[in-house]
Amino acid sequence: MQPRVKTWLFLMPAGLWFLTMLVLPLVVVFIFSFGERGAAGGYVPAFTLDQYANLPARWAAFRNTLTLAPIGTVVCLLIAYPLAYFLALRTTPKWRTLLLILVIVPFWTSILIRSYAWIFILGGRGLPTLISALGLGDVQLINTPFAVLVGIVYGYLPLMVFPIFVSLERLDKRLLEASSDLGCPPWRSFLNVTLPLSMPGVATGCMLVFILLMGEFLIPAILGGGKVFFVGNALVDLFLQSRNWAYGSAVAVTLVAIMLVTVTAYMRFTRRWAGGRDDVSLM
Amino acid sequence: MGYIHVSMDIDRLEQFTAESPDPDAPAIRIAEMRGATKRYGDVLAADNLNLTIFKGEFLSFLGPSGCGKTTALRMLAGFEEPTSGDILLDGEVVNSVPAHRRPVNMVFQHYALFPHLNVADNISYGLRQQRPKPPKDQIDDAVRQTLETVRMPGFGPRRIWEMSGGQQQRVALARALINQPKLLLLDEPMAALDRKLRRDMQIELQSLQRKLGITFVLVTHDQEEALSMSDRIAIMRGGRIVQIGSPRDLYDRPNSRYVADFVGKSNFIDGVVAEIDGPKIALKTPDGQKLQGMAVGQLAKGDAATISLRPEQCSLARKQPSNTQAGMRLPVKIINRIFLGEHTEYLVKTENFGDFLVLVPRQAETAEGRFEPGDDAWLYWQTSSALVLQAD
Amino acid sequence: MTDHNDTITREKFMAELWRYKRGSVTRRHFLGVTGLGTATAVLGAAMPGLMPRPAWSQANIGDRVILATWPNYHEPTNFEAFTEATGAAVQVNVFGSNEEMLAKLQAGGSGWDVFVPTNYTITTYVDEGLIEPIDVSRLPNYDASAFDARFASPGTVNDTLYAVSKNWGTTGYAINTAKNGDVTPTTWKEFWDMTMTNFSGRTMVHDYQLTTIGNALKYFGYSFNSVDANELADAEKLLLDAKPHLFAINSDYQPSMRSGDAWMTMCWTGDGKQLNTDIPEIKYVLGKEGGELWSDFYAIPKGAPHMDAAYALIDFLLTPENNAKEALFHGYPVADARTNALLPAELLNDPIIYPAADLLSALEFGAAATLTDPNRAELLARFKSA
Repeated sequence: MQPRVKTWLFLMPAGLWFLTMLVLPLVVVFIFSFGERGAAGGYVPAFTLDQYANLPARWAAFRNTLTLAPIGTVVCLLIAYPLAYFLALRTTPKWRTLLLILVIVPFWTSILIRSYAWIFILGGRGLPTLISALGLGDVQLINTPFAVLVGIVYGYLPLMVFPIFVSLERLDKRLLEASSDLGCPPWRSFLNVTLPLSMPGVATGCMLVFILLMGEFLIPAILGGGKVFFVGNALVDLFLQSRNWAYGSAVAVTLVAIMLVTVTAYMRFTRRWAGGRDDVSLM
Repeated sequence: MGYIHVSMDIDRLEQFTAESPDPDAPAIRIAEMRGATKRYGDVLAADNLNLTIFKGEFLSFLGPSGCGKTTALRMLAGFEEPTSGDILLDGEVVNSVPAHRRPVNMVFQHYALFPHLNVADNISYGLRQQRPKPPKDQIDDAVRQTLETVRMPGFGPRRIWEMSGGQQQRVALARALINQPKLLLLDEPMAALDRKLRRDMQIELQSLQRKLGITFVLVTHDQEEALSMSDRIAIMRGGRIVQIGSPRDLYDRPNSRYVADFVGKSNFIDGVVAEIDGPKIALKTPDGQKLQGMAVGQLAKGDAATISLRPEQCSLARKQPSNTQAGMRLPVKIINRIFLGEHTEYLVKTENFGDFLVLVPRQAETAEGRFEPGDDAWLYWQTSSALVLQAD
Repeated sequence: MTDHNDTITREKFMAELWRYKRGSVTRRHFLGVTGLGTATAVLGAAMPGLMPRPAWSQANIGDRVILATWPNYHEPTNFEAFTEATGAAVQVNVFGSNEEMLAKLQAGGSGWDVFVPTNYTITTYVDEGLIEPIDVSRLPNYDASAFDARFASPGTVNDTLYAVSKNWGTTGYAINTAKNGDVTPTTWKEFWDMTMTNFSGRTMVHDYQLTTIGNALKYFGYSFNSVDANELADAEKLLLDAKPHLFAINSDYQPSMRSGDAWMTMCWTGDGKQLNTDIPEIKYVLGKEGGELWSDFYAIPKGAPHMDAAYALIDFLLTPENNAKEALFHGYPVADARTNALLPAELLNDPIIYPAADLLSALEFGAAATLTDPNRAELLARFKSA
């Protein structure tokens, strides 16, 4: 009895925090999603499914998010994997620390400011000038889905690099020797050993990036010139501009539902991969 | 006890003792190290290793950590390229042939089993790397047979982390054996097992080696393990092979105090060579006594040397033994007694040469009576059993 | 107060304008676009108790006053002077849009003492019971008769004064005429037509329903404030047609105009003035068909925690000497004749800041209906996500 009480007391702060900071807002949003917009905006209690019925009006936002988030995740992965591989397996410890710091350094500055820097790089006086000087024609880069993708990859790359780096660094190098010893050439050892064993890192990185991308609004607003519209932007507009809290809540609940489905699928995938093993940390 | 006066260098010793396990079959040289040297920057990990490995033998590299035994093994496996010198397999220089193209397999120290594959897929890994790939049923048959060989039938679908340490060891062994390698390299394979299990595995490994006739090369720091399993042992120190020979050779004719100390237990008396009379040498100890022994290796007058005396070559007596009974005798005090069944091990204190271990067989003890700690006694031995070795 | 405010040299004026321009963000755009919410700056002493408390207010007004306003909209030295005079530190919450401000007040517990609503939002605040009536007796330096009624009158709702005029402005468009054969267009029709032809990929519109929809309505000659379904349908079609030709939907248009990426943009008075000053070929145009005229106000939200301080701050900022400093800082026209009397002629004669009467008369104040009309909000959302 006594230890149980103690355990509960210890868990109280975390539990309260979880309840007030995570559960409560979600419950509020869920309730609001069945309400109506007030005459001057805001929320009027009601029970209606109108907001959900109206979801197709934000179809484009969902489509953009559900297109660019996976593409962004995959591009991040394709760039992050070789980088993480290089860092984990092809550098000396001294260089590794330095390079890892370089990967983190951009995080010391706000994503807002870093994204603004890309406005100048992708803007008319930046890369396009270079491209046309090379005789490759006139291109507009800024305010295009491409620019958003660049911003996404730039902003989220470290989130992908680190989990993969950790899984590769933790990889027992003797397994590669064992593979080689058993007659496997290096490139096939990568496919047979390194890649499968770094899958937890890959899955974690993809999940981190994908989930965060689903809620992204800053990068599309800044580098998409407002023309690339994510669900996050729809939510900002609904809550801060048109103040349609009920509809905004319905959109938010839908977004959360999509994420839940994704995370569940992810857990299934990794569980199957790990075969129920406890000592492989997946998150 | 007629093995007196063996002075030889390592190469000659090797030729001298090179024997195939099957005395009728000619000894086939399966692998060779010729002056193999490995440097890491300033560190000389392996220094001019010369060694021939014969088909079907069980050879061990024995030495403390950092002696270069693992480097030697890794050069054979193909993980390390010698800085100078050659590695030969089947008479061909394979210095720069990578591990995956050598017909050599290894059992790693912590097994290095693939955690993402089940037992069967771990074992069949080597076969599945062959090109052209063998047919699936052939692979399955081989896995089944190998699992039986290591006495783990039916374990194929199990996960690696469900296996105990001993089982993992067998899987690692099976994973290497299934490829029927020319050389099976074992890198401290039993280090992670508990004592009892290790003993069982040693016996099993040895009988497996006899049964399969595959050449085993074992790296270990455990002298007992090396002595009990090997046909030949290469004792290593500081990157060099200091002596190669059968366990018996090494025990009976160590060529240095280091080897004598490393292989079995020994009592040592330091001194300077005072007289040389054929194989007999008189050693002058710091307190001025002259002790006699048989020379091993080249010794000159004035050389620092050590008398090495195995505990079982020593005897204890209540009364001073006569000259005919003993080559040498010293008065001692009994300090401790440990009953070991067939033998009793006494720790005795000499006046000038520190503590000695004496191993008394049961019959001898009945004849002479048991000594109690605190008793006075005489320690004596035959001159012929005292080996005079070069001091380190 | 001090004497050097009474006259101001041209050099001083330009220096002040430069200072304004250096503010990297302009009104409404930045945080509104990004939805980042409020950035808070605390001006004045952290320990107001140590401050002398003379002249300004005899009564103790407390140690702080919280102001919700737009970026770069106040002269910081005025706040310092206020704190020195009253002991109350001015805490500033910066907002991106009226909609956002309204959302925050609707959510409750804003904690603001003074906020800066735009004309068309005031009736909504009154209807929602979110705003305090102004007790003029507590603003000794406010003189209603000195204000141009046209800009000050939206502060009065149902014969009750709820908000006092801060400054006003217009919404037109800025065009880089060098890209148009040095021809300066004059209408919103040209704005949209050029967007879809020779300025394709070079035009920016606001990320903001009132002006973007309003100026599209102007293409057809409809009211800037229309909520008529058919008229909005026309505007939507125009917006959707134009969208592929737009450079961006973004209220932060200065960087792109300056870099040359964008050639034309919907634009507020102050931004138009700054762009024109630095890049003369960028002209500020008020469409002949009309467009937005707006006026910002000081007001007190219901339940302001420091009511005395709120009145003291508004009164302080509306004192002509202080208001003139404000005007020099933010660069927008002021409706108070007493303040204008202290401003230099260059400013008062500037055609961008004070447009010609005929252009001005065509302009409309934004209507409250547009703020709350769900159809306009949805229209903009459809336009943005298309």
